[in-house]
Amino acid sequence: MTNEEKYANAFCQAFDIEPEAAKNLTFQAIDAWDSVGHMGLVAQIEEAFGIMLEPDDIVDLNSYEKGKEILAKYNVEFA
Amino acid sequence: MLRGKNILITGTNRGIGKAILEKCVENGACVWAHARRETPDFIKLVSDLSVKHQIEIRPVYFDMTDKEAVKKAIISIRSSKLPVDALINNAGVMHNASFQMSAEKALRDIFETDFFAPFFLTQMISNLMVRQGHGSIVNIASMAALDGNPGKAIYGSAKAALIAMSRVIANELGAQGVRSNCIAPGVIATEILQTMPADELEKTKELTPMKRFGSPEEVADAAVFLASEKSSFINGQVIRIDGGL
Ligand SMILES: NC(=O)c1ccc[n+]([C@@H]2O[C@H](COP(=O)([O-])OP(=O)(O)OC[C@H]3O[C@@H](n4cnc5c(N)ncnc54)[C@H](OP(=O)(O)O)[C@@H]3O)[C@@H](O)[C@H]2O)c1
Repeated sequence: MTNEEKYANAFCQAFDIEPEAAKNLTFQAIDAWDSVGHMGLVAQIEEAFGIMLEPDDIVDLNSYEKGKEILAKYNVEFA
Repeated sequence: MLRGKNILITGTNRGIGKAILEKCVENGACVWAHARRETPDFIKLVSDLSVKHQIEIRPVYFDMTDKEAVKKAIISIRSSKLPVDALINNAGVMHNASFQMSAEKALRDIFETDFFAPFFLTQMISNLMVRQGHGSIVNIASMAALDGNPGKAIYGSAKAALIAMSRVIANELGAQGVRSNCIAPGVIATEILQTMPADELEKTKELTPMKRFGSPEEVADAAVFLASEKSSFINGQVIRIDGGL
């Protein structure tokens, strides 16, 4: 699995959505991505990449795209 | 009371934290026993307790104020795949100065250890607790946070912030099975008292209805209770252990 696929999969697992629906998603755009769902997403991302997100990054993670920028800080590269 | 539980306790090499470690193990908990650094005394303490009670004690080392080191330790706890059933935020430092004599550096340093460090650690651990759907957080605050004792401007403020944090966690995470409570000890006979003026100590003892200082074990008993399911509907509270002050 590529990092992009792993990343999209984290959204699918957290919010029970299809990969296509994950792209362009933003915080609170769907019911499942509320503050409780957010922590579920963080858990999925942390598990997928074996990292622990900084509290500030957890707060900043407000869209699919922003998450990719944040992950770059943890040496997760996207093609 | 704690059989089958996994508990992270900070500052377990001496004082109240050591008593909490001993009581948790006595009550059947497996413990991640935190200390600032590995020392022969600490290794012996952990191994003696582990042998005596036939229980696993996993030492973890970090300076509370070194966020990267804390993070590394939590990642390794997480990768053990064991639930963190309770977190006991005990490590702390005392500071004595009147409000008008409180220097900025001390203010920042004490808040770093007594508030920011447990705040960040609890943020990380509570994430794990929310995922597993349960957890108990026990914060060792102080009566200084409640009573505004003269000479405790910085220390009391930092511990008051810890109490506020605990109350917010209780409100925000209660629905997800995570409880948070505080213990506010009065004067407890540990090395920390060496930092307090002798006359202040005598005066406090005199004012204490029970006319003595508390023991670390008396605080530890309450910590065990709050960490356990015996306190399953106690959330957002501050329990004073102060001989009636
Ligand atoms: N004793 C009292 O009368 C009393 C009253 C009210 C509240 N309390 C609170 O109870 C808690 C325990 O106090 P105590 O009386 O047992 O004090 P203590 O004997 O001085 O022990 C303090 C513990 O905290 C650890 N610690 C402090 N700063 C740390 C840091 N930056 N990184 C890692 N570990 C650190 C110490 O580790 P090192 O050994 O490496 O320094 C030690 O294990 C504290 O939060 C204190 O504020 C105590």
